[in-house]
Amino acid sequence: MGDLKHISHWRLLFKVNQIQNWRRLKLAVSSSRLHAFLMGLFVVAYAWLAFELFRKGLQFTSSFPGLGPVLIERMIFLLFAFLFFLLLLSNVIINFTNLFRNRETHFLLTLPVAHKVIYRWKIFESGVLASWAFLFLIAPLVIAYGETYNASWDFYFVTPVFVGLFVVLPGIFGSWVALFLARWLGRLVFQIAAIFVVILVIVFISSWLQPEVVTDEMLETRVLDVVDRLLARTQFSLFPFLPSYWVSSGLTQWIEGAVMGAFFFGLVLLSHTLFFGYLAATRSGGLFFSSLSAVNSRGRKASLWSFLHNKESGRSAFEPKFLDRLANFFWWSKSDSRALIVKDILTFWRDTTQWGQSLVLLGLLVAYIMNLRYFSHRLTSDFWVDLTSYLNLGACALNLATLTTRFVFPQISLEGKRIWIIGMAPLGMRRTLMTKFLFSTVVSMIVTMALVGASCMMLSVKVDRMIYFTVAIGVMSFTLNALALGLGALYPNFREENPSKIVSGFGGTLCLVLSFIYIVGMVGLMAVTSFWAFGGSSSLTFGMGSLVFLFVSFFLGWLPLRKGIRRMATLEV
Amino acid sequence: MIEIKGLSKCFGDLTAVDDINLSIPKGEFFVILGPNAAGKTTTIKVMAGLMKPTRGSVHICGHNIELDPLDARKRMAYLPDFPFLYDKLTPSEFFRFTGQLFGMDESDIKNESENLSDCFSLGDFLVKPIESLSHGTKQRVAIVSALMHAPEVFVLDEPMVGLDPHHARVLKDILRERADQGMTVFVSTHQLSVAEEMADRIGIMNQGKIVALGSHSELKAANRDSKLESIFLSLTTETDG
Repeated sequence: MGDLKHISHWRLLFKVNQIQNWRRLKLAVSSSRLHAFLMGLFVVAYAWLAFELFRKGLQFTSSFPGLGPVLIERMIFLLFAFLFFLLLLSNVIINFTNLFRNRETHFLLTLPVAHKVIYRWKIFESGVLASWAFLFLIAPLVIAYGETYNASWDFYFVTPVFVGLFVVLPGIFGSWVALFLARWLGRLVFQIAAIFVVILVIVFISSWLQPEVVTDEMLETRVLDVVDRLLARTQFSLFPFLPSYWVSSGLTQWIEGAVMGAFFFGLVLLSHTLFFGYLAATRSGGLFFSSLSAVNSRGRKASLWSFLHNKESGRSAFEPKFLDRLANFFWWSKSDSRALIVKDILTFWRDTTQWGQSLVLLGLLVAYIMNLRYFSHRLTSDFWVDLTSYLNLGACALNLATLTTRFVFPQISLEGKRIWIIGMAPLGMRRTLMTKFLFSTVVSMIVTMALVGASCMMLSVKVDRMIYFTVAIGVMSFTLNALALGLGALYPNFREENPSKIVSGFGGTLCLVLSFIYIVGMVGLMAVTSFWAFGGSSSLTFGMGSLVFLFVSFFLGWLPLRKGIRRMATLEV
Repeated sequence: MIEIKGLSKCFGDLTAVDDINLSIPKGEFFVILGPNAAGKTTTIKVMAGLMKPTRGSVHICGHNIELDPLDARKRMAYLPDFPFLYDKLTPSEFFRFTGQLFGMDESDIKNESENLSDCFSLGDFLVKPIESLSHGTKQRVAIVSALMHAPEVFVLDEPMVGLDPHHARVLKDILRERADQGMTVFVSTHQLSVAEEMADRIGIMNQGKIVALGSHSELKAANRDSKLESIFLSLTTETDG
């Protein structure tokens, strides 16, 4: 065959995956034009609505002389600082799965493709997967920022360049963290470390976010001093070694007309991106293969926490375990349903990636609840108390929607090629789906009703309203779980084993979009028809509003669940 | 062609492959047999460069797979039991892709993929998405893509799974023909008939070690038994006990 032709393997991989993705998109559009239209509509509607909201908010803030520009500038710094940490976390998780659990990676390792090229391709792919949604979400804000300050046309060309350079850095750092975790941390050590880190973060956030005591007198006479003290909490976003500082400084200076200053920060960003990009592209292939080999060579133990109980060997391995014994307390339920639930819990518990993400969400929720108690003391007018209580309901429901989309929607897809096991069992697909639905709904209800109850107490909401909000979130739990599971059964992806990728498909996106529209619509409806809040409506309006809420909730959950059950019943495995 | 020296592979406390030494010359058709969890697939994964050995080394055509992986992998092909294929590509696009990865000329890609596709009756499937193909057809696509670049060493893990008798015969014939032309073939299988019919030499693995090695006739002579099945069972159940 002679000498091998010099062909860029990276470009070949890019081309092949581009073809694959293009065909997937075409298939998704052609298989359901209505859904594709709805998705397109949502994208445009979100962009427009978010832009209008941000523009109005920024214009309102900028109307305060002296104070407005300071607050807006700090908000830009905070936005990119949080974006940096979120992208870092997202890149760690996606890189871990993409580098070490991906079939394409294993396939490429057997071909004459250099380790560094595989690594380069995979971190590019992970970076795109981790970043596109964040960039889509912040784009309206950045455009609104430019609009508020009447930025010239060049701002809208410079911004993508700055942001494009910026997202490379968390992508690279995230991949290195993933390499480190894979190389040195076994599953058990990782689980212990993750719990430790989350506790540490909760303690840190709850101690760091202490309220500033501000008297009315101070608000009247020493406004700048008060603002300074409040802004001190956001000082971390001005740390000059953070990449977010460079991008924020570059953009704010560009909009102020300080082109040389912006150019300087652009060069700082570029030099770091090139330096770390060069290291990642040319010097990390060996590390990647060492980590992958370490992951593939790790001893596989079903129970990592076996030191907590007696060693299992031989026949004792068949003895009922803790979860089996716990499940037996639910004696009235059928044993096959209990077995399915125990299997789902064990699978979840032993999947470190799923685990890590749940911990992050849990940590955020705990930090949120802990800080509500400081918030309630600052609310003096009824309007703000009412607004906060409805916003709190919305926030809890949005958290729930994130959880159902991330963990409940992929449930059917994750059965993957093993679906025949439950498909062929006497349990049947219908009961499988119903068992999964009931289990996830009960767990969600326990978590979210406790969450809403606790947050209402923190906000000092009256008991009758607390009960109303708690029941409302209970109803929403039913709807959101039914919607996620129903759509998960209607749009399964049995080929993919990575839940993040399953969720980022058409069905997952549709689930998230519908969940969000439902929450915003229903919380808005409840607030408008409430007979105690915002001036108060009549009992009749309140009753009608509640009926509409129940009606929409029931049908939005029941319809997809019923269709999903039918789809599963006729599924050809 | 394949030199395995003192190869060991451990997974935590478990030693899956235990100090294996094996030399397979050019053009030999070597079949490795063994019960489940004997260490065959682990050996193959180390040979394919999917994981580092705990101890020892593997050389493919003189190139250490750990230290010089690119040169080693350019000269070999690996067919796993469940091969990965890009499901949205068509077989012809997939052949072109793998041919380009191996640096083949356009004309070579066209000729080789056409010839091999004819042998494996893939003509009707060449422009259909791979995801729409049956398991056996996908297996044939993977075999063609592996053979296209005329590897000097071909490592196959359970290659007959999913193949119908006709295409299993075609594969055996092509492997035999290529071996006669100098390609080294290393096959892991549970089908004793494949070993009996095709192998120049047979290795039997059990609990991470090679417990028997030789041609069919040598194994028969050494074990005073005429059937490979009896030899296999006696060697793999004795040590189990």
